[in-house]
Amino acid sequence: MKRRRRTEILVQSNADLAEHLAETILQTYTCKEIVPPHHGLTMVKMRESAKQSLFYIGEVLVTEAKVEINQYIGIGIVQGMEEELAKHLAIIDAAYNATLPETREWQDLLLQAEADLKAKKAKEQAELFETKVHFETMDV
Amino acid sequence: MGYVAVKGGTNAIEASLKRLTYERLKDGEIIEVQTIMATMRSLVDQVMSESSLYSPYLAALSIKQANGSMEEAVFIMRAHRSTLPRLYYSETVESETMFVERRISASFKDIPGGQLLGATNDYTHRLLDFTLINESASTNESWLHDYEQALQHVGDGNEVIYFPKVVDHLRHEGLFETYDWDNSKPTDITKENLSFPATRSARLQTLTRGQTGAVTALGYASLRGYGQVHPTVGEVRVGTLPISVGHPNEADEDEADDYYIGNIKVSEVESFVPVSVKNKQNENELEFEIGYGICYGQNETKAIAMSILDQCLEHPEADFPTHDEEFVLLHIDSVESTGFISHLKLPHYVTFQSKLDSIREVKKEGKQQ
Repeated sequence: MKRRRRTEILVQSNADLAEHLAETILQTYTCKEIVPPHHGLTMVKMRESAKQSLFYIGEVLVTEAKVEINQYIGIGIVQGMEEELAKHLAIIDAAYNATLPETREWQDLLLQAEADLKAKKAKEQAELFETKVHFETMDV
Repeated sequence: MGYVAVKGGTNAIEASLKRLTYERLKDGEIIEVQTIMATMRSLVDQVMSESSLYSPYLAALSIKQANGSMEEAVFIMRAHRSTLPRLYYSETVESETMFVERRISASFKDIPGGQLLGATNDYTHRLLDFTLINESASTNESWLHDYEQALQHVGDGNEVIYFPKVVDHLRHEGLFETYDWDNSKPTDITKENLSFPATRSARLQTLTRGQTGAVTALGYASLRGYGQVHPTVGEVRVGTLPISVGHPNEADEDEADDYYIGNIKVSEVESFVPVSVKNKQNENELEFEIGYGICYGQNETKAIAMSILDQCLEHPEADFPTHDEEFVLLHIDSVESTGFISHLKLPHYVTFQSKLDSIREVKKEGKQQ
Protein backbone atom coordinates (compact mmCIF):
# COMPACT_ATOMS: atom_id res chain seq x y z
CA MET A 1 0.00 0.00 0.00
CA LYS A 2 1.35 3.39 -1.01
CA ARG A 3 2.28 5.94 1.63
CA ARG A 4 -0.45 8.55 0.99
CA ARG A 5 -3.19 5.99 1.41
CA ARG A 6 -1.75 4.24 4.46
CA THR A 7 -0.89 7.47 6.31
CA GLU A 8 -4.44 8.71 5.78
CA ILE A 9 -5.79 5.49 7.28
CA LEU A 10 -3.35 5.62 10.21
CA VAL A 11 -3.86 9.32 11.00
CA GLN A 12 -7.65 9.17 10.77
CA SER A 13 -8.04 5.90 12.67
CA ASN A 14 -7.79 5.53 16.41
CA ALA A 15 -4.16 6.07 17.49
CA ASP A 16 -4.18 2.52 18.91
CA LEU A 17 -3.80 1.14 15.37
CA ALA A 18 -0.50 2.94 14.69
CA GLU A 19 0.71 2.03 18.18
CA HIS A 20 -0.11 -1.64 17.61
CA LEU A 21 1.74 -1.77 14.26
CA ALA A 22 4.76 0.11 15.63
CA GLU A 23 4.92 -2.24 18.65
CA THR A 24 5.15 -5.31 16.40
CA ILE A 25 8.23 -3.77 14.74
CA LEU A 26 9.86 -2.72 18.01
CA GLN A 27 9.58 -6.30 19.34
CA THR A 28 11.85 -7.61 16.56
CA TYR A 29 14.02 -4.77 15.25
CA THR A 30 16.30 -2.12 16.69
CA CYS A 31 14.87 1.32 16.16
CA LYS A 32 17.20 4.31 16.35
CA GLU A 33 15.65 7.68 17.05
CA ILE A 34 17.08 10.16 14.54
CA VAL A 35 14.86 13.14 15.37
CA PRO A 36 12.68 12.90 18.47
CA PRO A 37 9.08 14.09 18.09
CA HIS A 38 9.06 17.86 17.88
CA HIS A 39 6.64 20.58 16.87
CA GLY A 40 6.90 22.62 13.70
CA LEU A 41 4.85 24.19 10.96
CA THR A 42 3.58 23.24 7.55
CA MET A 43 2.62 26.06 5.19
CA VAL A 44 -0.55 25.15 3.32
CA LYS A 45 -0.62 25.93 -0.39
CA MET A 46 -4.04 26.23 -1.99
CA ARG A 47 -5.52 26.77 -5.40
CA GLU A 48 -8.20 29.47 -5.54
CA SER A 49 -11.10 28.85 -7.87
CA ALA A 50 -11.52 32.34 -9.39
CA LYS A 51 -8.31 32.46 -11.45
CA GLN A 52 -6.95 28.97 -10.63
CA SER A 53 -3.77 30.44 -9.12
CA LEU A 54 -1.89 29.34 -6.01
CA PHE A 55 -1.60 31.11 -2.65
CA TYR A 56 -0.76 30.30 0.96
CA ILE A 57 -3.78 30.10 3.27
CA GLY A 58 -1.67 29.80 6.42
CA GLU A 59 0.33 27.41 8.56
CA VAL A 60 -0.66 24.23 10.37
CA LEU A 61 0.96 23.03 13.58
CA VAL A 62 2.51 19.60 13.07
CA THR A 63 4.54 17.07 15.03
CA GLU A 64 7.38 15.36 13.21
CA ALA A 65 9.63 12.44 14.17
CA LYS A 66 12.34 10.47 12.34
CA VAL A 67 13.65 6.99 13.10
CA GLU A 68 16.02 4.51 11.50
CA ILE A 69 15.44 0.75 11.16
CA ASN A 70 17.86 -1.50 9.22
CA GLN A 71 19.47 1.65 7.82
CA TYR A 72 16.19 2.90 6.43
CA ILE A 73 14.83 6.23 7.59
CA GLY A 74 11.17 6.61 8.44
CA ILE A 75 9.33 9.89 8.88
CA GLY A 76 6.19 10.49 10.91
CA ILE A 77 4.30 13.76 10.40
CA VAL A 78 0.91 14.55 11.82
CA GLN A 79 -1.15 17.64 12.44
CA GLY A 80 -1.33 18.94 16.01
CA MET A 81 0.66 18.00 19.11
CA GLU A 82 0.85 14.23 18.71
CA GLU A 83 4.28 13.08 19.90
CA GLU A 84 3.41 9.39 20.33
CA LEU A 85 1.52 9.11 17.06
CA ALA A 86 4.31 10.88 15.13
CA LYS A 87 6.85 8.41 16.46
CA HIS A 88 4.65 5.42 15.67
CA LEU A 89 4.07 6.74 12.14
CA ALA A 90 7.82 7.14 11.68
CA ILE A 91 8.42 3.53 12.75
CA ILE A 92 5.75 2.27 10.36
CA ASP A 93 7.19 4.40 7.55
CA ALA A 94 10.68 2.99 8.18
CA ALA A 95 9.24 -0.54 8.19
CA TYR A 96 7.71 0.02 4.76
CA ASN A 97 10.86 1.69 3.43
CA ALA A 98 12.91 -1.30 4.62
CA THR A 99 10.30 -3.68 3.12
CA LEU A 100 10.07 -5.59 6.38
CA PRO A 101 7.99 -8.78 6.07
CA GLU A 102 5.60 -7.59 8.81
CA THR A 103 4.29 -4.87 6.49
CA ARG A 104 2.77 -7.50 4.19
CA GLU A 105 0.71 -8.80 7.08
CA TRP A 106 -0.64 -5.30 7.77
CA GLN A 107 -2.44 -5.05 4.45
CA ASP A 108 -5.73 -6.61 5.58
CA LEU A 109 -5.70 -4.66 8.84
CA LEU A 110 -5.25 -1.38 7.00
CA LEU A 111 -7.91 -2.23 4.41
CA GLN A 112 -10.38 -3.03 7.17
CA ALA A 113 -9.56 0.24 8.95
CA GLU A 114 -10.03 2.09 5.66
CA ALA A 115 -13.44 0.47 5.14
CA ASP A 116 -14.45 1.44 8.69
CA LEU A 117 -13.38 5.04 8.10
CA LYS A 118 -15.32 5.22 4.83
CA ALA A 119 -18.42 3.83 6.49
CA LYS A 120 -18.12 6.33 9.34
CA LYS A 121 -17.74 9.22 6.91
CA ALA A 122 -20.64 8.05 4.76
CA LYS A 123 -22.81 7.79 7.88
CA GLU A 124 -21.77 11.30 8.93
CA GLN A 125 -22.60 12.64 5.48
CA ALA A 126 -25.96 10.86 5.46
CA GLU A 127 -26.74 12.59 8.76
CA LEU A 128 -25.69 15.95 7.32
CA PHE A 129 -28.08 15.33 4.43
CA GLU A 130 -30.91 15.72 6.93
CA THR A 131 -30.19 19.45 6.60
CA LYS A 132 -30.58 19.39 2.81
CA VAL A 133 -33.12 21.93 1.56
CA HIS A 134 -36.07 20.71 -0.46
CA PHE A 135 -37.50 23.78 -2.11
CA GLU A 136 -41.15 24.09 -2.94
CA THR A 137 -42.12 26.49 -5.68
CA MET A 138 -44.97 28.72 -4.56
CA ASP A 139 -47.91 29.73 -6.73
CA VAL A 140 -48.05 33.50 -6.92
CA MET B 1 10.53 72.77 31.12
CA GLY B 2 13.49 70.75 29.87
CA TYR B 3 13.56 67.10 28.77
CA VAL B 4 13.68 64.55 31.56
CA ALA B 5 15.12 61.13 30.96
CA VAL B 6 13.41 58.59 33.20
CA LYS B 7 13.74 54.96 34.10
CA GLY B 8 11.98 52.70 36.54
CA GLY B 9 8.63 51.02 36.78
CA THR B 10 10.02 47.50 37.08
CA ASN B 11 8.35 46.88 40.41
CA ALA B 12 5.10 48.39 39.17
CA ILE B 13 5.17 46.16 36.08
CA GLU B 14 5.75 43.05 38.16
CA ALA B 15 2.89 44.03 40.43
CA SER B 16 0.70 44.70 37.38
CA LEU B 17 1.42 41.23 35.97
CA LYS B 18 0.44 39.69 39.30
CA ARG B 19 -2.71 41.79 39.26
CA LEU B 20 -3.52 40.44 35.78
CA THR B 21 -3.22 36.88 37.05
CA TYR B 22 -5.28 37.82 40.12
CA GLU B 23 -8.08 39.17 37.91
CA ARG B 24 -8.17 35.84 36.04
CA LEU B 25 -8.16 33.70 39.17
CA LYS B 26 -10.00 35.72 41.81
CA ASP B 27 -13.48 34.25 41.21
CA GLY B 28 -12.16 30.74 41.73
CA GLU B 29 -13.36 29.46 38.36
CA ILE B 30 -11.25 27.41 35.98
CA ILE B 31 -12.07 26.97 32.31
CA GLU B 32 -10.38 23.98 30.72
CA VAL B 33 -8.71 24.28 27.32
CA GLN B 34 -10.83 21.34 26.17
CA THR B 35 -13.97 23.19 27.26
CA ILE B 36 -13.02 26.21 25.14
CA MET B 37 -12.31 23.94 22.17
CA ALA B 38 -15.64 22.17 22.54
CA THR B 39 -17.94 25.07 23.30
CA MET B 40 -16.39 28.13 21.67
CA ARG B 41 -15.69 26.86 18.19
CA SER B 42 -16.28 30.21 16.47
CA LEU B 43 -13.88 32.02 18.78
CA VAL B 44 -11.24 29.31 18.28
CA ASP B 45 -11.77 29.49 14.51
CA GLN B 46 -11.33 33.27 14.45
CA VAL B 47 -8.14 33.13 16.47
CA MET B 48 -6.68 30.47 14.15
CA SER B 49 -7.69 32.44 11.08
CA GLU B 50 -6.34 35.79 12.24
CA SER B 51 -3.15 34.31 13.60
CA SER B 52 -2.72 32.23 10.43
CA LEU B 53 -1.88 29.19 12.52
CA TYR B 54 -4.17 26.16 12.45
CA SER B 55 -4.18 24.53 15.84
CA PRO B 56 -7.48 24.42 17.73
CA TYR B 57 -5.67 23.39 20.91
CA LEU B 58 -3.18 26.27 20.89
CA ALA B 59 -5.91 28.72 19.88
CA ALA B 60 -8.03 27.62 22.86
CA LEU B 61 -5.02 27.89 25.17
CA SER B 62 -4.28 31.40 23.89
CA ILE B 63 -7.91 32.42 24.50
CA LYS B 64 -7.62 31.16 28.08
CA GLN B 65 -4.32 32.95 28.63
CA ALA B 66 -5.65 36.16 27.07
CA ASN B 67 -8.77 36.24 29.27
CA GLY B 68 -10.85 36.00 26.11
CA SER B 69 -9.27 39.00 24.39
CA MET B 70 -9.22 38.28 20.65
CA GLU B 71 -6.37 40.66 19.84
CA GLU B 72 -4.24 39.32 22.67
CA ALA B 73 -4.94 35.68 21.75
CA VAL B 74 -3.98 36.32 18.13
CA PHE B 75 -0.81 38.15 19.25
CA ILE B 76 0.18 35.20 21.47
CA MET B 77 -0.42 32.73 18.63
CA ARG B 78 1.61 34.79 16.16
CA ALA B 79 4.42 35.07 18.72
CA HIS B 80 4.39 31.31 19.31
CA ARG B 81 4.35 30.65 15.59
CA SER B 82 7.53 32.68 15.22
CA THR B 83 9.33 30.28 17.58
CA LEU B 84 8.59 27.19 15.49
CA PRO B 85 10.54 25.93 12.49
CA ARG B 86 8.72 25.63 9.20
CA LEU B 87 9.29 22.00 8.33
CA TYR B 88 7.18 21.55 5.20
CA TYR B 89 5.14 23.16 2.48
CA SER B 90 1.98 21.22 1.67
CA GLU B 91 1.11 19.84 -1.71
CA THR B 92 -1.45 22.01 -3.46
CA VAL B 93 -4.85 21.70 -1.82
CA GLU B 94 -7.73 21.61 -4.31
CA SER B 95 -10.98 22.64 -2.67
CA GLU B 96 -12.97 20.05 -4.66
CA THR B 97 -11.53 17.53 -2.19
CA MET B 98 -13.49 19.14 0.65
CA PHE B 99 -15.68 16.96 2.85
CA VAL B 100 -18.60 19.37 2.83
CA GLU B 101 -20.53 20.00 6.03
CA ARG B 102 -22.45 22.99 4.76
CA ARG B 103 -23.04 24.37 1.29
CA ILE B 104 -25.46 27.02 0.11
CA SER B 105 -25.97 29.24 -2.89
CA ALA B 106 -27.74 32.58 -3.05
CA SER B 107 -27.64 32.51 -6.85
CA PHE B 108 -29.42 29.27 -7.65
CA LYS B 109 -32.14 27.32 -5.92
CA ASP B 110 -31.14 24.07 -7.55
CA ILE B 111 -27.42 23.44 -7.49
CA PRO B 112 -25.86 20.09 -8.43
CA GLY B 113 -25.78 18.07 -5.22
CA GLY B 114 -28.28 20.36 -3.47
CA GLN B 115 -28.08 22.91 -0.70
CA LEU B 116 -26.93 21.65 2.67
CA LEU B 117 -27.55 23.91 5.67
CA GLY B 118 -25.30 21.99 8.06
CA ALA B 119 -24.84 23.76 11.41
CA THR B 120 -25.55 27.48 11.21
CA ASN B 121 -26.73 30.42 13.31
CA ASP B 122 -28.56 31.82 10.28
CA TYR B 123 -31.99 30.59 11.32
CA THR B 124 -31.78 31.07 15.09
CA HIS B 125 -34.07 33.64 16.74
CA ARG B 126 -31.24 35.52 18.44
CA LEU B 127 -33.19 35.52 21.69
CA LEU B 128 -31.20 34.89 24.85
CA ASP B 129 -31.66 31.28 25.89
CA PHE B 130 -32.05 31.41 29.65
CA THR B 131 -32.31 27.62 29.87
CA LEU B 132 -28.55 27.52 29.29
CA ILE B 133 -28.06 28.96 32.79
CA ASN B 134 -29.14 25.65 34.27
CA GLU B 135 -27.57 23.42 31.63
CA SER B 136 -26.22 20.19 33.08
CA ALA B 137 -24.19 17.27 31.77
CA SER B 138 -27.16 14.93 32.24
CA THR B 139 -29.59 17.13 30.27
CA ASN B 140 -27.00 17.45 27.51
CA GLU B 141 -26.47 13.70 27.39
CA SER B 142 -30.19 13.21 27.21
CA TRP B 143 -30.46 15.68 24.31
CA LEU B 144 -27.64 13.95 22.46
CA HIS B 145 -29.24 10.56 23.01
CA ASP B 146 -32.57 11.79 21.62
CA TYR B 147 -30.81 13.40 18.64
CA GLU B 148 -28.92 10.22 17.82
CA GLN B 149 -32.09 8.19 18.17
CA ALA B 150 -33.87 10.54 15.77
CA LEU B 151 -31.09 9.96 13.24
CA GLN B 152 -31.46 6.18 13.37
CA HIS B 153 -33.71 6.22 10.32
CA VAL B 154 -30.96 7.88 8.26
CA GLY B 155 -29.12 4.64 7.61
CA ASP B 156 -25.45 4.16 6.99
CA GLY B 157 -25.08 6.03 3.71
CA ASN B 158 -23.25 4.67 0.72
CA GLU B 159 -20.28 6.36 -0.90
CA VAL B 160 -19.01 9.72 0.35
CA ILE B 161 -20.02 12.43 -2.11
CA TYR B 162 -17.63 15.22 -3.07
CA PHE B 163 -19.66 18.12 -4.41
CA PRO B 164 -18.89 19.84 -7.69
CA LYS B 165 -18.47 23.61 -7.61
CA VAL B 166 -21.45 25.71 -8.72
CA VAL B 167 -19.07 27.81 -10.80
CA ASP B 168 -17.81 24.74 -12.70
CA HIS B 169 -21.34 24.13 -13.94
CA LEU B 170 -21.54 27.73 -15.20
CA ARG B 171 -18.11 27.51 -16.79
CA HIS B 172 -19.20 24.45 -18.72
CA GLU B 173 -22.12 26.50 -20.00
CA GLY B 174 -19.67 29.16 -21.17
CA LEU B 175 -21.13 31.81 -18.85
CA PHE B 176 -17.89 32.36 -16.94
CA GLU B 177 -14.37 32.66 -18.27
CA THR B 178 -12.25 29.56 -17.83
CA TYR B 179 -8.63 29.69 -16.67
CA ASP B 180 -5.83 27.18 -17.05
CA TRP B 181 -4.13 26.11 -13.85
CA ASP B 182 -1.58 28.72 -12.89
CA ASN B 183 1.13 26.94 -10.91
CA SER B 184 3.34 29.99 -10.41
CA LYS B 185 5.08 29.94 -7.04
CA PRO B 186 3.01 32.04 -4.63
CA THR B 187 4.40 34.99 -2.73
CA ASP B 188 4.74 34.33 0.99
CA ILE B 189 4.12 37.50 3.00
CA THR B 190 5.61 35.86 6.09
CA LYS B 191 8.95 35.63 4.28
CA GLU B 192 9.01 38.88 2.32
CA ASN B 193 7.56 42.29 2.99
CA LEU B 194 4.37 43.19 1.22
CA SER B 195 5.24 45.39 -1.74
CA PHE B 196 2.97 47.17 -4.19
CA PRO B 197 1.54 46.39 -6.63
CA ALA B 198 0.98 43.17 -4.70
CA THR B 199 0.74 39.80 -6.41
CA ARG B 200 -2.62 38.03 -6.32
CA SER B 201 -1.19 35.41 -3.97
CA ALA B 202 0.07 38.10 -1.56
CA ARG B 203 -3.34 39.78 -1.61
CA LEU B 204 -5.18 36.53 -0.86
CA GLN B 205 -2.77 35.57 1.92
CA THR B 206 -3.13 38.99 3.54
CA LEU B 207 -6.92 38.96 3.26
CA THR B 208 -7.37 35.45 4.64
CA ARG B 209 -5.37 36.28 7.80
CA GLY B 210 -7.01 39.68 8.18
CA GLN B 211 -8.92 40.67 11.30
CA THR B 212 -12.52 39.51 10.92
CA GLY B 213 -13.97 42.90 11.91
CA ALA B 214 -11.66 44.84 9.62
CA VAL B 215 -12.24 42.61 6.58
CA THR B 216 -15.99 42.66 7.21
CA ALA B 217 -16.06 46.46 7.67
CA LEU B 218 -14.20 47.14 4.42
CA GLY B 219 -16.31 44.60 2.49
CA TYR B 220 -19.40 46.30 3.89
CA ALA B 221 -18.05 49.73 2.94
CA SER B 222 -17.69 48.55 -0.64
CA LEU B 223 -21.31 47.40 -0.69
CA ARG B 224 -22.50 50.73 0.72
CA GLY B 225 -20.96 52.77 -2.05
CA TYR B 226 -17.31 53.18 -1.02
CA GLY B 227 -16.53 50.64 -3.68
CA GLN B 228 -18.02 49.25 -6.84
CA VAL B 229 -18.60 45.60 -6.01
CA HIS B 230 -22.01 44.21 -5.05
CA PRO B 231 -21.91 40.48 -5.60
CA THR B 232 -24.35 37.62 -5.47
CA VAL B 233 -22.98 34.74 -3.47
CA GLY B 234 -22.52 31.86 -5.88
CA GLU B 235 -21.51 29.33 -3.27
CA VAL B 236 -20.57 29.23 0.39
CA ARG B 237 -19.11 25.98 1.58
CA VAL B 238 -17.81 24.90 4.95
CA GLY B 239 -15.96 21.64 5.40
CA THR B 240 -12.66 19.91 5.88
CA LEU B 241 -9.76 19.72 3.44
CA PRO B 242 -7.11 16.98 3.50
CA ILE B 243 -3.50 18.16 3.77
CA SER B 244 -0.51 16.20 2.54
CA VAL B 245 3.20 16.87 2.17
CA GLY B 246 5.81 15.36 -0.12
CA HIS B 247 8.87 13.46 1.09
CA PRO B 248 11.59 16.00 1.99
CA ASN B 249 14.36 14.15 0.13
CA GLU B 250 12.82 11.90 -2.48
CA ALA B 251 12.71 13.40 -5.95
CA ASP B 252 9.73 11.22 -6.85
CA GLU B 253 6.70 13.46 -7.36
CA ASP B 254 4.13 10.68 -7.25
CA GLU B 255 1.23 11.95 -5.11
CA ALA B 256 0.69 8.41 -3.87
CA ASP B 257 4.01 8.68 -2.03
CA ASP B 258 3.03 11.82 -0.09
CA TYR B 259 2.36 11.90 3.64
CA TYR B 260 -1.22 12.66 4.69
CA ILE B 261 -0.94 14.80 7.83
CA GLY B 262 -4.54 15.66 8.73
CA ASN B 263 -7.29 17.99 7.68
CA ILE B 264 -8.29 21.60 8.23
CA LYS B 265 -11.74 23.15 8.45
CA VAL B 266 -12.34 26.14 6.20
CA SER B 267 -15.09 28.41 4.89
CA GLU B 268 -14.87 29.09 1.18
CA VAL B 269 -16.86 31.55 -0.93
CA GLU B 270 -17.22 32.29 -4.61
CA SER B 271 -19.08 35.53 -5.27
CA PHE B 272 -20.43 36.36 -8.70
CA VAL B 273 -19.86 39.95 -9.68
CA PRO B 274 -21.35 41.51 -12.83
CA VAL B 275 -18.83 43.57 -14.79
CA SER B 276 -19.14 45.50 -18.03
CA VAL B 277 -16.62 44.53 -20.72
CA LYS B 278 -16.09 45.50 -24.34
CA ASN B 279 -16.79 42.76 -26.87
CA LYS B 280 -15.08 42.35 -30.26
CA GLN B 281 -17.44 44.89 -31.76
CA ASN B 282 -16.37 47.36 -29.04
CA GLU B 283 -19.82 47.22 -27.50
CA ASN B 284 -20.44 47.04 -23.77
CA GLU B 285 -21.37 43.56 -22.67
CA LEU B 286 -22.26 42.17 -19.26
CA GLU B 287 -20.04 39.42 -17.91
CA PHE B 288 -19.53 37.77 -14.56
CA GLU B 289 -16.31 37.58 -12.63
CA ILE B 290 -15.59 35.70 -9.43
CA GLY B 291 -14.52 37.15 -6.11
CA TYR B 292 -12.79 34.52 -3.97
CA GLY B 293 -12.82 34.27 -0.19
CA ILE B 294 -11.58 31.62 2.20
CA CYS B 295 -10.50 31.41 5.82
CA TYR B 296 -9.70 28.90 8.53
CA GLY B 297 -12.69 27.57 10.43
CA GLN B 298 -16.36 28.44 10.06
CA ASN B 299 -16.43 32.19 9.53
CA GLU B 300 -18.68 32.82 6.57
CA THR B 301 -19.03 36.57 7.06
CA LYS B 302 -15.28 37.02 6.79
CA ALA B 303 -15.03 34.73 3.75
CA ILE B 304 -17.82 36.61 1.94
CA ALA B 305 -16.27 39.99 2.81
CA MET B 306 -12.92 38.69 1.56
CA SER B 307 -14.52 37.69 -1.74
CA ILE B 308 -15.81 41.26 -2.14
CA LEU B 309 -12.40 42.75 -1.37
CA ASP B 310 -10.67 40.27 -3.68
CA GLN B 311 -12.84 41.49 -6.54
CA CYS B 312 -12.35 45.16 -5.51
CA LEU B 313 -8.57 44.77 -5.57
CA GLU B 314 -8.66 43.04 -8.96
CA HIS B 315 -10.04 46.32 -10.31
CA PRO B 316 -8.10 49.25 -8.84
CA GLU B 317 -10.11 52.48 -8.73
CA ALA B 318 -8.54 55.66 -7.43
CA ASP B 319 -11.92 57.02 -6.30
CA PHE B 320 -12.67 54.18 -3.89
CA PRO B 321 -10.57 53.26 -0.85
CA THR B 322 -11.77 49.65 -0.92
CA HIS B 323 -10.23 49.30 -4.40
CA ASP B 324 -6.87 50.62 -3.16
CA GLU B 325 -4.69 47.67 -2.20
CA GLU B 326 -2.36 49.71 -0.01
CA PHE B 327 -5.33 51.02 1.96
CA VAL B 328 -6.96 47.60 2.35
CA LEU B 329 -3.97 45.30 2.81
CA LEU B 330 -2.01 47.53 5.18
CA HIS B 331 -4.89 48.06 7.61
CA ILE B 332 -6.58 44.69 8.13
CA ASP B 333 -3.93 42.77 10.05
CA SER B 334 -4.91 42.26 13.70
CA VAL B 335 -1.42 42.34 15.20
CA GLU B 336 -0.33 45.34 13.14
CA SER B 337 -3.44 47.47 13.73
CA THR B 338 -3.99 46.65 17.41
CA GLY B 339 -0.25 46.87 18.03
CA PHE B 340 0.07 50.31 16.51
CA ILE B 341 -3.01 51.65 18.26
CA SER B 342 -1.84 50.13 21.55
CA HIS B 343 1.60 51.65 21.29
CA LEU B 344 -0.06 55.03 21.85
CA LYS B 345 -0.40 53.97 25.51
CA LEU B 346 3.37 53.72 25.87
CA PRO B 347 5.43 56.67 27.17
CA HIS B 348 5.68 59.49 24.64
CA TYR B 349 7.04 61.93 27.23
CA VAL B 350 9.81 63.33 25.06
CA THR B 351 7.79 63.78 21.88
CA PHE B 352 4.87 65.29 23.76
CA GLN B 353 7.14 67.64 25.73
CA SER B 354 8.61 68.74 22.44
CA LYS B 355 5.16 69.59 21.11
CA LEU B 356 4.31 71.44 24.34
CA ASP B 357 7.52 73.45 24.09
CA SER B 358 6.68 74.44 20.53
CA ILE B 359 3.18 75.62 21.52
CA ARG B 360 4.54 77.53 24.51
CA GLU B 361 7.07 79.23 22.26
CA VAL B 362 4.39 80.22 19.74
CA LYS B 363 2.09 81.56 22.47
CA LYS B 364 4.98 83.51 24.09
CA GLU B 365 5.82 85.12 20.76
CA GLY B 366 2.15 86.01 20.27
CA LYS B 367 2.03 87.82 23.64
CA GLN B 368 5.23 89.75 22.93
CA GLN B 369 3.76 91.02 19.65
